[in-house]
Amino acid sequence: MLIHSINIVHKMSRLYKLGGALILSLMLLVSNSQLRAQDAAPAGGADAEKGKTLFTNNCAQCHAVTDEKVVGPGLKGVESRTPGKDWLHKWIRNSSALIASGDQYANQVFNANGKVQMSSFPSLTDADIDGILAYIDQANKPAVTNGGGGGGTTDPAPAASASGPSELFTFVLVALLIVMLLVLGVLLAIVTILSKAVAPATAGGVEESSNFGQRLKTGLSNAFNNPTLRSIVIWLFLLVVAKETIDGAYSIGIQQGYAPKQPIAYSHKLHAGQYKIDCNYCHTGAQKGKNATIPAANICMNCHGVIKKESPEIQKIYTAIEENRPIEWVRVHNLPDLAYFNHAQHVNVGNVACQTCHGEIEKMEVVEARSSLTMGWCIDCHRRTDVNTKDNAYYDKLVALHRKESKEPLKVANIGGLECSKCHY
Amino acid sequence: MITKHTSVTALAIIGLMFAGTACKRGHDNTGVEYAPQMYDAVGYEPYRQIRPNTINPQGLNMRLPARGTVARPNYHTTFGEGANAKTDLMIYHIPADSIEIAERVLTNPIPETEQSLAEGKTLYTRYCSHCHGETGKGDGLVGKEYKGVPNYSSDALKTLNDGHIFHVITNGKGRMWPHGSQITPEDRWKIVQYVHKLQQG
Repeated sequence: MLIHSINIVHKMSRLYKLGGALILSLMLLVSNSQLRAQDAAPAGGADAEKGKTLFTNNCAQCHAVTDEKVVGPGLKGVESRTPGKDWLHKWIRNSSALIASGDQYANQVFNANGKVQMSSFPSLTDADIDGILAYIDQANKPAVTNGGGGGGTTDPAPAASASGPSELFTFVLVALLIVMLLVLGVLLAIVTILSKAVAPATAGGVEESSNFGQRLKTGLSNAFNNPTLRSIVIWLFLLVVAKETIDGAYSIGIQQGYAPKQPIAYSHKLHAGQYKIDCNYCHTGAQKGKNATIPAANICMNCHGVIKKESPEIQKIYTAIEENRPIEWVRVHNLPDLAYFNHAQHVNVGNVACQTCHGEIEKMEVVEARSSLTMGWCIDCHRRTDVNTKDNAYYDKLVALHRKESKEPLKVANIGGLECSKCHY
Repeated sequence: MITKHTSVTALAIIGLMFAGTACKRGHDNTGVEYAPQMYDAVGYEPYRQIRPNTINPQGLNMRLPARGTVARPNYHTTFGEGANAKTDLMIYHIPADSIEIAERVLTNPIPETEQSLAEGKTLYTRYCSHCHGETGKGDGLVGKEYKGVPNYSSDALKTLNDGHIFHVITNGKGRMWPHGSQITPEDRWKIVQYVHKLQQG
């Protein structure tokens, strides 16, 4: 066991070294690319400067200046591969008209790029388009001479750091196990010393010669015959049993910590945390109805029709759609039917943040029930929370009545938040 | 005889102590439920189904609502106040590929007020901003990954009218997928108002 833990420590130190080297190389890369950008700047003329602004405003969403395909093709060398500037002027101002006119090259480009219609830009003048072309030329010059190993260098770093926490976790577990074993050893030692002390000296030379098993047996029997020690052990045992029973009884119906495996390894940490997609984008019912609703597959497709289509987890959505069957998510927060809860009431009217009850969902890889959902937990919040009565005529009379009786602000408890039949009916 | 029993008892005690402290409920276990039928109801429930349904197709409790069903609780049909009040059912039958018709025919029934714009902004943040960006520049966090998200204030887009924007939210366009199932027509019109603000750059 000890050897194993040492081995892990050794591995971890290697990991840190590796991480350090990676960070250093990344820093070098970044500084390198900054230098390159500085090189590029002074080369441009006034025309290309204007072209750059036009490009970022109108073109950059679908086209890269390099030969990388974004939505439309990369624009490196676009002037030389197309039939000329006149053609480009027509194409950019109204590509669909050019395709409809039967232009051969226009149709070829249209078909080669999956028949995605390019937006028309009728407001761009010939000079504007020439400026954009000049900018594309200029942007490619320094990039071609210096470039090469540009993209795809940042990948190994996250992978290395991702394996960190789990190693640390096993290390902590092993350390805990060692500590527990040590405690056990010490306890056993104390027991033997105690039993030796209570054992009368009568067990003399005969006991000395017998094997360890027999010595342990006699030691234990001596300990058992000692009334003080026996009562201590019995009381300890009873206490543990009583505590476990009470804990067990209190945990009935409480699903805190429940984090079932879902049919698709969807991560809230990625969607809500990293990409900051609003909860309501998928859970469209939260503001309007009792249920927050689980999104149907068509909402997944709003992004995954394009992003990460090849991932095996996302392929599961595609299969579900093709076979026209629902994805069977496992419900995490399941309030028993004896209590009524309405999302809209809390989220829309009460302005309660999702995280108040669901915990830091945006940090969860797998959703876990964070709150106990007990009645005491509900009532606690109803006693604590002030009602937002500002600029709301509905509450005017209630507030006036409340003021007569109390100096405290109007709480949810004062407007029926503790009434049984509000939730149980 | 006695010695045999004591060692067994001692072992049992140690074992029980370990079992009592070390054994916690797994993450896949809901634990003991008092009155389990309150959790897995006999009646049909949305979002919770244990047994396959014997009547409905595919064994599902939930069925799709009839085509064209309108949820009534949050559905407003009258907009504006007093003499300016306007009734609009907001039911449109414009085919997804006919954006020109939408541009010609549709107008926003909701009069622009400070409140409707503020609501439009909230809805925009909720449904659009992760791709289109806080200011409509197409620079949202998801938009960067998705690619091809346009800038509202670019020359090609800054003059698009009510009907066009409404139609794109409802049916999608280019790389964008339809969002009609998520956003009610009324909310879509409020978003349209706010997008007009963003078009001005």
